[in-house]
Amino acid sequence: MSGGARAEEASPHRRARTARPSWLAGMVWRAGMVWLAGVAWLAGTVAGCGPLSETHREPGNSHEVATAPPGSTGGEARAEITVRAGRVSPPPGWVEARRGQRIAITVTSDVPDELHVHGYDRTAELRPGEPVTVRFRADLTGVFEVETHRSGLVLTQLAVR
Amino acid sequence: MTEALAHGVGERSDLPIPLFYAYAGAFAALVVSFLALGLLWADSRFRGDRAGRVVPLRLPGRPARIVTLLLALHTTGLLLLGPVEDNAAPHLVYVLFWVGLVPASLLFGPVWRSLSPFRLLPDRPRRALPARLGYWPAAGGLLAFTWTELVAPEPAAPPTLLVFGAGYAAVQLAGTRVYGHAWLERGDPFEAYSTLVGQLSPLGRRADGTRVLRNPFDGLDAVEPAPGLVATVCVLLGSTGYDGFSTAPAWVDALQSGPLGRTALGTLGLLATVAVVALLYGGCLGLAGLIGGTRGLAPRFAHTLVPIALGYLVAHYFSLFVIEGQRTLVLALRLDLVVDQNAVAPETIAIVQVLAIVAGHVAGVVAAHDRSVRLLPEARAVAGQIPLFVLMLAYTLGGLTLLFAA
Repeated sequence: MSGGARAEEASPHRRARTARPSWLAGMVWRAGMVWLAGVAWLAGTVAGCGPLSETHREPGNSHEVATAPPGSTGGEARAEITVRAGRVSPPPGWVEARRGQRIAITVTSDVPDELHVHGYDRTAELRPGEPVTVRFRADLTGVFEVETHRSGLVLTQLAVR
Repeated sequence: MTEALAHGVGERSDLPIPLFYAYAGAFAALVVSFLALGLLWADSRFRGDRAGRVVPLRLPGRPARIVTLLLALHTTGLLLLGPVEDNAAPHLVYVLFWVGLVPASLLFGPVWRSLSPFRLLPDRPRRALPARLGYWPAAGGLLAFTWTELVAPEPAAPPTLLVFGAGYAAVQLAGTRVYGHAWLERGDPFEAYSTLVGQLSPLGRRADGTRVLRNPFDGLDAVEPAPGLVATVCVLLGSTGYDGFSTAPAWVDALQSGPLGRTALGTLGLLATVAVVALLYGGCLGLAGLIGGTRGLAPRFAHTLVPIALGYLVAHYFSLFVIEGQRTLVLALRLDLVVDQNAVAPETIAIVQVLAIVAGHVAGVVAAHDRSVRLLPEARAVAGQIPLFVLMLAYTLGGLTLLFAA
């Protein structure tokens, strides 16, 4: 940095007024990029090797949300949801799962409807008052809505890490 | 037919970013802001429209616009007559056009200007475009589109898209008929959007139409302050912010079991988010003006929000563009391929999201610094910037919080 500045002073033919702006802006730009890359690398290494990143919304930590800690029922993440008079209970929350885990979502609706798990594209017919369970293996990561097609209600969101 | 809550189309949304990423991003934003205050240049460096090296590039305008027109007609045909299941039209609108406009403009400058079929119409203004109109029509149009995408009862249903498309086309036709092509520059929401994002492209376009290779900061500096510019940028930031929290369980619950009903509450939520973004901007710029002893700063700093809004947009649409982009191609070209929904790992998405938000913040801070040292008296330039940095930190921390918690 200081070497560059000296060189600039020492060279009398440099068109300082026009050349400097982009030169300096370029320096700042590059420095910023290097710095950002550093932060990204740091973020990647720390997050990759510890439980630091998993303190948030660990299954069982949240309240009022239909979650089940993994491993509690033979490694199956379960949710039981009831729809009555257009209301979802428990209120739409999250079902947490790890990739590869088995999922079982049981829904009881008071009206005929169709259950749909987005992304996984699982559907099931719901008959009034009859609990219906969809089971599948969580092999896609992301957050997926579980909803009823006819009444258009979000029942829960399936979060697969 | 899919009716996802957010994004118009899409079967999935992103996992919350790990807490550590949120902290790293917030820390980075803080450090950069304070470094910028102390270390960046004391005289304005960016030269706006005068900057850049002229590129002798003539694009064939007419054929490109005819192709767009045919694509638009094809999409309309699909909406009217296409299959009920696996119709490509909503994907063509929401993924290829709306989300694709961002990377295309970022790479090639104001692309919708070059592709807009409305520019095939003759440029015969009957009246001069009133200056006070500025970007207001674009702000209104973008709000209408984001409402359609994020709040409308069935964003991907053909009637919804047809109504929006018909309204959009009618307004552009009428505007062009009265005011000529000058209308399209700021009245066509997508052209205004693409041109604003395109200011950050290395391949820029000067006001006189010359193509130049330039520092994106010079391009950003060339944004002309105009009425409604602040509103336009606030709509972009606010709607993306609303998109961020609209899938949060508490909001989903309020939407479907609150007394107002889904559409009314969603509309209020969208408007409130835009209003919060705008009030924050107005308040901080007012404070900066008081400290710096200069009036009328608000429109002259609006360009600094463009990179921040861009960071939000990239963070929210990156995975959608990669995954639903595949589906768009599969559906539109009737390919016999399966969409890889695990195409990007959750870690990759999180890193891209945090980097986009922080990079947008850094670019906003640099642009604001340069504008401050140009506009504010020397003795007050540093102090006058503090409210601006507080503003940007608020947007950035808000964006990270949405990624982390919603």
